[in-house]
Amino acid sequence: MVEAIRLVGQPSERAGALMNSSEELISRVRRGDDEAFRLIFDRYARPIISFIYDMVGQRDLAEELAQETFVRAYKSLNALRDDAKLSTWLFGIAKNVARESLRTRHREDHRVEIDDDRVIEVTDEKLPPDRELLDKELNSVIQQALGALDEDKRTVFTLKVFQQRSYEEIAEITGFSIPKLKTDLHRARAEMRRRIRPYLGVGYEV
Amino acid sequence: MKCEACLTLIEEFVDGSLVEREASRVEAHMSDCPTCAEFYKEVKAEQEVYARYERDIEVSPRLWAAIESRIKQERPQESPGLFARLRQSLAMMFATPRLSPALAALLVAITVGLTAAVMTYVNSRDTEIARGDFEKAPAPLPRAENQPRPADPPAQAPAENGSGLIAEKPEVDKTPTQPRPDEQRPRATARRQVASEPDPGQLVREAEQKYIAAIAILSRDVSKKRSGMDPMVAARFDAALGEIDKTIAETRRAVRSNPDDPIALQYMLSAYSKKVDTLREMSRGANATADED
Repeated sequence: MVEAIRLVGQPSERAGALMNSSEELISRVRRGDDEAFRLIFDRYARPIISFIYDMVGQRDLAEELAQETFVRAYKSLNALRDDAKLSTWLFGIAKNVARESLRTRHREDHRVEIDDDRVIEVTDEKLPPDRELLDKELNSVIQQALGALDEDKRTVFTLKVFQQRSYEEIAEITGFSIPKLKTDLHRARAEMRRRIRPYLGVGYEV
Repeated sequence: MKCEACLTLIEEFVDGSLVEREASRVEAHMSDCPTCAEFYKEVKAEQEVYARYERDIEVSPRLWAAIESRIKQERPQESPGLFARLRQSLAMMFATPRLSPALAALLVAITVGLTAAVMTYVNSRDTEIARGDFEKAPAPLPRAENQPRPADPPAQAPAENGSGLIAEKPEVDKTPTQPRPDEQRPRATARRQVASEPDPGQLVREAEQKYIAAIAILSRDVSKKRSGMDPMVAARFDAALGEIDKTIAETRRAVRSNPDDPIALQYMLSAYSKKVDTLREMSRGANATADED
């Protein structure tokens, strides 16, 4: 996956990152070129932080865990068996880091605590007409709904729906079998659907 | 296609995960079924809602600064030579705990026997050639550490690199000393003796095959249990296995290019052995996690 990232305060000077293959960058890092690792960071920081944020529900924590993810990746780069799978490998590390953090926090039933104080109670009442407000509310609803999923379902749902990973990639990242992850994904979607139904604009009852 | 089957496929259809044939069947069914078509609309609407989801995430420069500061302390070492890399990998491999026999123990036992046979044979042939026709022996063999030939002068003992590990290739073997007259044998005798012994390449291949079979059994076992493992533990094992695989690949290359090198053979078979041990340990770790659960 190649994703253009604009860093705050660093508009385009690292646009060259997109021109380097993962294999080239990894090879350079292995030879001691930290700048190449910076390019890897530039390429994957945003999707990795987003994924971790969806897993843990807190921005500061997501940033802290993203830092841990990249440091671990740097330290164990020699363990990467297929350089072409850098992205999948990074997500695998991020998944482990996020899950370790969730377990350390001993959240009862693994629910994620959302740090957004704008969380709005979901009701079936009429939605506000203003689109911007609706979007804000929708973001809160999605975050809440994600936080209510169990860890496995949240991991699979996030990777499939938000990170657009294939089943094979999700299986590699999570270590789940494809039948398990399909079942988890289907259940996760059904749970999410119940929570976001008021925003769908159609009246189908499952 | 019935509605029940179609409804289970609609999510994958919207994801674009279905193969063409299945996608066509879903499409055909939906064109005649308002219920499934309605569900399709809902899933599509969900997709649009999820596409609008924004996390308000920024990648702040301080994040890279923090990472950079930490990785400065972890700067990778300069790329070492083949044997230096092997030493490094093996040192790491043997630093991890070993296992008692469990699955695939029989295969491993056979392989250990084969390994011993290979090493014994290669060393004995080395000695034989050293005692025989020095001038016409095709290529002098380097020997394993702690196994100096009696005829070698002390000054030509295998060089060490200061850490107690074997140097890449003992210089002594490149300039063999002249044998004592009483050690000289006719060239034909030495050649005949070598020919009557088993082919070391064959022994190595058999040992490799046994290890590969044991590794396949254990890998399947580990793969089944992986989902129940602690992810942190699984990640550590994966990292160790990655290192071992690299070592296996490097040692195999070394053996293929120097089939008579006993050190390379020893390293390669040790690397296979280490992989078997690590997989076995991983399998036991998964069992322990399952028991705890």
